Amino acid sequence: MPFIDYKTLIPKTVAWFFAALLFILPVFTTSGITLSIFISSGVWAIAVMGFTLILRTGQFSMGQAAFMALGAYASAIFTLQLGIPFWPSFLLAGIVSGIIALILGLVVLRVGGIYFSIITLALAEIIRILAQQWEGVTHGVRGLRPPVPPTIALGGLEINFSTSTVPYYYFMIILVAITAVVFWRMEHSRIGGTFSSMAANQILAEHQGIHLMKYRVIAFTVAGIFTGFAGAYYANFLSIITPYMFGLWQSIQIMMMSIVGGISSIVMGALIGATILYTLGVYLSRLPIFNIQYLLFGAAVVLVLLFLPKGTGLVDLWGKFWRKVFREPEEYEIPEESEMAAE
Amino acid sequence: MPPAEIWIDGLVNSCIYMTMAFGMVLVFSILGILNWTHGQFYMLGAFTVYYAVSSVWGIPFPISLIISGIVIAGLGMLVEKFVIERLTGPGYGMLYVTAATLALIFFFEGAAGMAFGLQDKGLAMVLPGVLDLGSFSVSYQKIAVIIFTLVIMITMYVVLNRTKVGLAIRAAAQEPIAASLYGINVKRVSLIVMGIGCGLAAMAGGIMAPVYYINPFMGRIPMIFSLLAIVIGGLGSLTGAIIGGIILGFLNSVIAYHLSYLSEAVLFLLVVAILLVRPQGLFGAPIK
Repeated sequence: MPFIDYKTLIPKTVAWFFAALLFILPVFTTSGITLSIFISSGVWAIAVMGFTLILRTGQFSMGQAAFMALGAYASAIFTLQLGIPFWPSFLLAGIVSGIIALILGLVVLRVGGIYFSIITLALAEIIRILAQQWEGVTHGVRGLRPPVPPTIALGGLEINFSTSTVPYYYFMIILVAITAVVFWRMEHSRIGGTFSSMAANQILAEHQGIHLMKYRVIAFTVAGIFTGFAGAYYANFLSIITPYMFGLWQSIQIMMMSIVGGISSIVMGALIGATILYTLGVYLSRLPIFNIQYLLFGAAVVLVLLFLPKGTGLVDLWGKFWRKVFREPEEYEIPEESEMAAE
Repeated sequence: MPPAEIWIDGLVNSCIYMTMAFGMVLVFSILGILNWTHGQFYMLGAFTVYYAVSSVWGIPFPISLIISGIVIAGLGMLVEKFVIERLTGPGYGMLYVTAATLALIFFFEGAAGMAFGLQDKGLAMVLPGVLDLGSFSVSYQKIAVIIFTLVIMITMYVVLNRTKVGLAIRAAAQEPIAASLYGINVKRVSLIVMGIGCGLAAMAGGIMAPVYYINPFMGRIPMIFSLLAIVIGGLGSLTGAIIGGIILGFLNSVIAYHLSYLSEAVLFLLVVAILLVRPQGLFGAPIK
């Protein structure tokens, strides 16, 4: 799996333009439906970034939605049953999910390849069954109803989560921005290079003195923390959690978003893949013909995989476009080690 | 000690998991991929049998079983030709073909939901009646499942060990490059194997059609369980698939008798433990 450095291909002006556009979006529309598409895309994008980060270490996790479930249930149980205020319990949700990811990672990351996929699938199913059967804490299939975040008073400005979707929207933007910055920094630092080398050739990487297990655990834990935040946020936004919200099919969805979006850039691929596939899913489900959305969704994913050049996702189309327009040379220099360390 | 009915149910489940796992392992040993769409071929097979039996011609059940096997084998070959073959090869990891077969799950379930509707269908009128064995009784439908599996396994044994195609399959599984040097068309072998695997899944779905309800989502659970059976037996080992199917079918019924809904969690824990302690499974070759 060759990874291309897209840092040079996405100019700062374009990135800032899109960020500003997203930031002032509520000026144009405050409709809950439009905003909730963006919000849900953001939630899935965070989970997809985690998945891609784990993929960078050469592991293929099929249970990422379980960490969303862990975060969601942790935050809801902390507020509802232990009476901890909303914001601390939101932070704790990510930490709990991260700690569980760390413990599980230390045990299961020893196994590689398809075996790791099946182990994560099995663990995710165990978490789902526990959520369903542990009636006393999780209320089984009836689910929990997390409370609305409290109103924040900022000077003269009052942020009230219960009346409109806009505060949730800004909360999401901040969450995605923090996650994106963390993952972007990881990708373009020394640790990101280590991850790529592990994905490119595990044996060679190990012989170069890279402790595979250590970096895998780091990736798994970081992914677990942020996926937990995404889950906690999503449960609060929808104000319900049931065991079936974050099951095997959601894990598969995360995986498909990651691969369709492209794995050569952790942040951009995740954002593009999650937004496009989630929006596609929403619009397809509005079609009048019953059940056609699954058919078209599956067909769209297969077609993207078949017709994009091998090993690329949608994010690589942008890279190609950028190179064509600005006539950058096909082969561009990989920054030297010293430059990478200097940034 | 659970009653005899539970053991019979376990045996029936074992038979189905065994047949499905056998096809998946066969595909895995030649193509080197897990076909995640296997459960959907099971579902489509059940629908084919349903529509063949309840059509105006009223095709007899055994013949419609064979028809469904052939039709779905053709469909599986199409999938191999147009999706899997194009996404495997140098440069592609497991990643792309896994994503594609997972996406095909949605495709086939959506197609089945559109074409056949979402409501449960039954085929209970085929093979009615029960066999009274004194203290307990077994329905003829379940006996049919067991006999069918025996026939399939014997046929597969003969095909793999006594025919030229079987020899080619075994050679290509062992050493694809050497096999192609000896004049075996490995691409054609992949097509044949995919056809056999999908046909087996379809016939398993067809034979189960009278026992359970038929709906577009019926393939998911057998798919997951046959995957677990493969893991228990060892990825890439045909004997392992059979033994794993038997173990899993009985365990599922017997643990469910004692623990009800938590039984699945126990099974998944067992699989995690097996993968951690002995990743190659009970019968698989050690991993490099």
